[in-house]
Amino acid sequence: MILLLQDSGSFAFPDVDWGGLSPLLVMAGVPLVFLTVWSLTSHIAPRRTPSIVAVLGGIGTIVAAAIQWGRVSGDDVPGFSTLSSAYSVDGFSMLLTMLIAAAVTLTALFAHDYLEREDINSAEFFVLLMLSASGGIVMAGANDLIVLFLGLEVLSIAVYVLAASHMRRAESQEAGIKYFVLGAFASAFLLYGIALMYGATGSTNLVHISEWSAKLSREGNTGLLYGGMALLLVGLGFKVAAVPFHSWTPDVYHGAPSPTVSFMASAVKVAGFAGLLRVFNLTLGADALADDWAPMIFVLAVLSLIYGTVVGVVQDNVKRMLAYSSISHAGFILVGVEAASDDGMTAALYYLAAYTFIAIGSFAVISVAAPKGDAAHSLTDYKGLASRKPVLALAFTILLLAQAGVPFTTGFLGKFFVIGASIQSENYLLAIFAMLAAVVGAFLYLRIVLAMYSTGDEADAAVTGTEPIPWTAALTIGITVAFTVFFGIFADLMVDLVGDAVPQLVRETAAG
Amino acid sequence: MIAPVQLANLQLVELVWLVPLLPLLGFVILMFFGRRLGEPVAGWLATAAMGGSFLASVLVFVGMLGLEGGESGERIVEVKLFDWVVAGDFSVDIGLLADPLSVTMILFITGVATLIHLYSIGYMHGDANFSKFFVYLNLFAFSMLMLVLGDNLLLTFLGWEGVGACSYFLISFWFTDEANASAGKKAFVTNRVGDFGFMLATFLAFFAYGSIEYGEMFSGSAIPAGTATAIALLVFVGAAGKSAQFPLYLWLPDAMAGPTPVSALIHAATMVTSGIYLLARINPILAASHDWAPSLIAWVGLFTALFAASIAVAQDDIKKVLAYSTVSQLGFMVVAVGTGVYVAALFHMITHAFFKALMFLGSGSVIHGMNDDQNMKRYGGLAKLMPITAGTFLIGWLAIAGIPPFSGFWSKDEILVGVYDNSDIFANKVLFVLLLIAALLTAFYMTRLVILTFFGPPRWRDEVTGEALIESDDELPVRHPHESPWMMTLPLVVLAGLALVAGFINLPFASDLHFLGNWLEPSFYFNGHSNEYHAAAGGGTKLTLAVIATICAIGGIGAAWKLYFDKRGGTGPDAPAIMAQGWGYDNAVSNFMGGPGSKGFDALAEFDGKVLDGAVNGVGKLIQLDGSFLRRIQNGLVRSYAVLIALGAIGLMVYFLVVST
Amino acid sequence: MSAVLAANVGFPLLPVLVVLPVLGALVIALTPSTRPDVARAIALSTTVMTAALGIYLLWNFETSNGTFQFESDQSWIESFGISWLAGVDGISLWLIVLTVLLFPLAIFAVVPEHSPKPYYAWLLILQTGCLGVFVALDLFMFFVFFEIVLVPMYFLIANWGHGNRHYAAMKFFIYTMLGSALMLVGMLSLVWLHAKAPGNELTFDIRELAASDAVGTNAARWIFLSFAVAFAVKVPIFPLHTWLPDAHTEAPTAGSVILAGVMLKLGTYGFLRFGLYLFPEASHYFAPVFLTLGVIGIIYGAIVATMQKDLKRLVAYSSVAHLGFIVLGTFSLNSEGITGGILQMVNHGVSTGALFLLVGWIYERRHTREIAKLGGLQKVAPIMAAMFTVVMLSSIGLPGLNGFVGEYLILVGAFVAHRWWAVVAAAGVILASLYLLWAYQRVFHGPIDEENADTKDLNFREIAIMVPFIAAIVFMGIYPKPVIDRMEPSVDALVMHIQDNVDGFDEPVNEGRKGDGWAGVQAANEAANGDDEDHAEDDE
Repeated sequence: MILLLQDSGSFAFPDVDWGGLSPLLVMAGVPLVFLTVWSLTSHIAPRRTPSIVAVLGGIGTIVAAAIQWGRVSGDDVPGFSTLSSAYSVDGFSMLLTMLIAAAVTLTALFAHDYLEREDINSAEFFVLLMLSASGGIVMAGANDLIVLFLGLEVLSIAVYVLAASHMRRAESQEAGIKYFVLGAFASAFLLYGIALMYGATGSTNLVHISEWSAKLSREGNTGLLYGGMALLLVGLGFKVAAVPFHSWTPDVYHGAPSPTVSFMASAVKVAGFAGLLRVFNLTLGADALADDWAPMIFVLAVLSLIYGTVVGVVQDNVKRMLAYSSISHAGFILVGVEAASDDGMTAALYYLAAYTFIAIGSFAVISVAAPKGDAAHSLTDYKGLASRKPVLALAFTILLLAQAGVPFTTGFLGKFFVIGASIQSENYLLAIFAMLAAVVGAFLYLRIVLAMYSTGDEADAAVTGTEPIPWTAALTIGITVAFTVFFGIFADLMVDLVGDAVPQLVRETAAG
Repeated sequence: MIAPVQLANLQLVELVWLVPLLPLLGFVILMFFGRRLGEPVAGWLATAAMGGSFLASVLVFVGMLGLEGGESGERIVEVKLFDWVVAGDFSVDIGLLADPLSVTMILFITGVATLIHLYSIGYMHGDANFSKFFVYLNLFAFSMLMLVLGDNLLLTFLGWEGVGACSYFLISFWFTDEANASAGKKAFVTNRVGDFGFMLATFLAFFAYGSIEYGEMFSGSAIPAGTATAIALLVFVGAAGKSAQFPLYLWLPDAMAGPTPVSALIHAATMVTSGIYLLARINPILAASHDWAPSLIAWVGLFTALFAASIAVAQDDIKKVLAYSTVSQLGFMVVAVGTGVYVAALFHMITHAFFKALMFLGSGSVIHGMNDDQNMKRYGGLAKLMPITAGTFLIGWLAIAGIPPFSGFWSKDEILVGVYDNSDIFANKVLFVLLLIAALLTAFYMTRLVILTFFGPPRWRDEVTGEALIESDDELPVRHPHESPWMMTLPLVVLAGLALVAGFINLPFASDLHFLGNWLEPSFYFNGHSNEYHAAAGGGTKLTLAVIATICAIGGIGAAWKLYFDKRGGTGPDAPAIMAQGWGYDNAVSNFMGGPGSKGFDALAEFDGKVLDGAVNGVGKLIQLDGSFLRRIQNGLVRSYAVLIALGAIGLMVYFLVVST
Repeated sequence: MSAVLAANVGFPLLPVLVVLPVLGALVIALTPSTRPDVARAIALSTTVMTAALGIYLLWNFETSNGTFQFESDQSWIESFGISWLAGVDGISLWLIVLTVLLFPLAIFAVVPEHSPKPYYAWLLILQTGCLGVFVALDLFMFFVFFEIVLVPMYFLIANWGHGNRHYAAMKFFIYTMLGSALMLVGMLSLVWLHAKAPGNELTFDIRELAASDAVGTNAARWIFLSFAVAFAVKVPIFPLHTWLPDAHTEAPTAGSVILAGVMLKLGTYGFLRFGLYLFPEASHYFAPVFLTLGVIGIIYGAIVATMQKDLKRLVAYSSVAHLGFIVLGTFSLNSEGITGGILQMVNHGVSTGALFLLVGWIYERRHTREIAKLGGLQKVAPIMAAMFTVVMLSSIGLPGLNGFVGEYLILVGAFVAHRWWAVVAAAGVILASLYLLWAYQRVFHGPIDEENADTKDLNFREIAIMVPFIAAIVFMGIYPKPVIDRMEPSVDALVMHIQDNVDGFDEPVNEGRKGDGWAGVQAANEAANGDDEDHAEDDE
């Protein structure tokens, strides 16, 4: 799958394929333009405008990405790279771009009313959302470690602010700080990793690295290379919240405003895995290398699965529970990564796609379930939600069961595919681990369901589901649930789509 | 080529399906409309169904007489109705087998049943569940007939379980009394223990033969003696359950809790004899088994006979006496089967059916007269007041005691002769002597019963006159005995007649007079020789044995008379309590069940909750424990998080550096 | 035949059969919650229509055909060789019939205490799940249906159950899910092992997988175990049964009926279709283990049942014993045993279903299931007592009623194959009578106290519901032939399949000494006649 073309060798100003960059340009351009316009018109324009802009921007990005994908998918090499092979346009990057954009759209959709309720509404939220997303898109398409780092930082810095955006909640501020400090810490590791990689291969370009790394492993001279790999793994592991680099997750998820969390759980995870898959499965995917890094992924996966579920079980705050569940989901996706095979990558991508929608839906529910203050998320607060808001409870139930991996949901198929992939590459042990974790996880989700459906005085005293649900949130939840169930039953459509999203490792081509 | 007349006879015999069908119809009709029909119509309908069934049996009998007897096997007629259970090699149909043996059975079953149905109309008068009683009676009759007519082990088993269920219903008929309910349950469960044996026997038979249809089994090639023995003994376990042999007899005395007609029909005349029937039915297998098996059976029978007789001596409850006497008499029959004198066994079965049913019904009549008091010690002098009951009862008494020419004498004598003569049986002479003692005891306790009930001065105060014929320090019960209505006395009279003459169906004097024997021959005749043991003893021996038996009987009566006949209204010496309590065996068993038995069960239930389920919940607990341990990592301090990340990084570094070198 | 063709070609019977109930559920979801009567009406009519389809299926089923009928094949996830592959054979036929008949009765029998709308919806979804399992010929399809049934049952227990219902529901869900978790791994391993062998491609079609020789003996045994655990939990087989008493006891009446009547059969059915059929060698290899566990279940379940103080719990434990019999029959690996096993699945569905209904009605009247608090009911409720008696006797295995036929065939089969197991199992027959009769005595017999004195007898609706049960009990006891005939070809095919795939194993058979009936006896007599004169005089 790695295809190499001859280097022209001549130094020329890199010619830019603007079409290929269009999704990124939309996602990055819209907020910038909007910010300027808004500063002038904010007093006249309706308050809802920023969210509408964000939604449209997201949709625009999706459309652009779809067009680009359509453009490359026909070619004999379905993909190309531009900006002197710094940024690659292929099914992989476009799929992930679409996912990130979708995350923006859906989050922005329900965020507005949430922010209104918490009266912390400001255009900045949506601007930062989109900027962060653009960083994610950069990561998705990064064909060069520096670009990857660039994207990562753009993504992260914006999210740090988003996490802290609930002025009235100390937890929110604390979350922002924690996330920022630890994030910076992790980025440092990443940067060192890149440096070592450069030292080992003399380039930061993935194409070049993949050639050299293969050569180095043949020569058995892999010291620097592996050092780089280790540190890259730390940096990316932090973003995808894999144990032991997960520690920020519970606190940040707990403290940050629900829309931010939904974005973190979806877009940030997607971006992180985009980097992980591109660097490890694609660039360093040669069997000789994979045999060496796969065991570490195995360890991270097992740790994330166990820790995420086992500790999640004993939580009594729904937001924290979902934080831990997101850790265990990262573990499941790592199972796909660990398979180090095409099917493994496809499985991981499918899981990401499925989880993106499930997570957004879940946090949308959370954002409307609790009253003003966004604090009442203990299990006891959720008691009797079903009797107060039956439809909301049912939707949440479906999303939770999907996370538990109940059939006829995308959540089940995601698990099915990653397990399948790891069994295909004969890692039965990991498969068994994953399934056992799934069972324990089910207990975690069912605890929430039971709380919602429990009755009695305690339930009547609970505070969730007391306020009317804004239509925007209802729409978001509706879309996510519909997606989860529809593609859970009529699976083929999505499976094939993801199947086409194969990443390409190609140098810039004049034909571009 | 069959002669037309023979064909006609055959067709008569093939009417045999009518015999069980009629009671079945009665059952179905009564089940749906019984309450609407109510008393007494329901009773009459049931009785009619039984009577019809009896007539059908007679037709079958007549038809069979028309067929050639002996070894020709013409008198063995199968009527297949439809497939029942067919799977793999296993195939069993609903089919009836009419042969001298089964026809003999249906004749006396339907006959006695009809009489007892009639009797019940009177006896159950005024009972709230009058019609339901007859529903059960008809169902019982049907099951009993299926039992004896079934042409395969499984169908016999169907009847076998059916009669068991009915006996359960009827014993606990007056269910509001806890004791009755328990008695019913006890009967069913104890029988199940026997059925366990029966079932295994059928499995083994199927394994050995590949069929459990009598014809296919008995025409099959010879099976190893070991297998045959196993089957025979397993069947005997079943028989011991139904026919109340030691150690499974326990349920029968308690079964007296049921209405008296039930005791008469089910627990004296018919159901309890099905064990004997079954053993007779599988005589080829008994014949094929090791010699010690029949001996074992015979000795078990003997022990039961003696054991039960000794208990009967000490009972004060009139029905209990009869119950233990039934157990004892069944012991006699088992001895006969074990000895190989099947004809004698069936002979005694028939005579016993007559005189024991008679006496049960008589006792019922008495109990009726005595306001449902069953304690003989509060009876006395009833002969004058209940002449028919008393008269008929006395005939029954003489019959069971073994006084010639009453029927019991002949049948018992047959058994004694067989036992004395058949030296294949282990220590048969000893067996013979002990059996005589049992017979003597029988005469003794029956005499005691008769004296305490019918003779001597009444030990109660007359309701009308209010006068007491004896003076006693303790208060006498007030009674107003009276003769029962004709529906109840007519059966008594008929049965008395039968008890009187039934002996003549099988007279020992000449083989021509050996009617029953000759009639039954085909059912025991396989591979060119009869499995029936034909006593070789000459007339002389037979005569002396008969005399000895009679002397024993008279001795028993005399002794009892001496001890218990008391003009001053005494009730004679009491037997030791241990005997009254059946040598404490029953208590021992129930104590075990109530004590260690249920404790063990409880322990297992505990185990299920505590250990097994505990383990399951334990796993859950464990996971939560780990969780609450691991969550400590999440202490909210940035520095410790950073440390964690650093440690992770170092771990990765170390690993990669190791693999790279 | 032509009808069958029509059913196969013209009208997608099985898809409709499976999907119809869930459609009903969707319709119910659209009804206003202020109109419970509408929801009930929809639920009833849907299940009745499903039942009609089931009867149609039974009607057009080819008796003598041992292969899969009414097949429908529809690609589902093409890239993984997964498809909607449905078919019915003699093994699944009666379970489908049982399912389609039990649901309407269960729905008709009880009215939920609260929020009827979701109640009926969940029940209908449950039916779809069960039917899906019974018709699935594709491993993936089987698995998803096998898993999905947990959800509706979970909610039925958690929301409409009694007492400690949340605990019971959670336990039920997690325990059973744990079982199937490993099955998923085993399933995928099987599929990939098959797919990787030269000439094969990725498929979940059990017929191809059963025919495949790509899986080594050892691997097959491991994979079989992963399946077996899932089924063992579902059945449940001792010692994995402890979820059952809680689930049965706390579930609402209809839930218990379905749980016992249908859902436990998912496990036993799984053993036949996906255990014995896919892994004949492994099944044969592990048979002693399961025979032993089955026998333990029979005795153990009966003993523990005897000591229960809660009537419903008692019935629950009786299920453990009955299912033990089914396991015993299944793993005796001969026609008698397996036929008996399938028969017993249906029988248990009928009789235990009926028992749970009766217990439920007692509870409705007395608001207690505690045996000690009941007593003498036969006096005030004779009809209920009569019905209970019949059902109880069928459960005890009284000949002439359905329970006996299955139980006996199982024991015969087991005896021929593994004598001593059968001997011990037969002892369970004694215990069955013990715990049921004792319970009956304590509940219906004896003196009646004032709490019980005004217990109402069954009303007309309840009698009408019991009649079909009683009818089935009696009919299948007296004339099981039509039922057995339809399953026999498929059973024989299965046994044949096992023999072909296990070298050195033949269906254990009897020693076969049977002769040709009484005619044979006569012949033997005539042959031997004349040799012995000593009996001659007896016959004059």
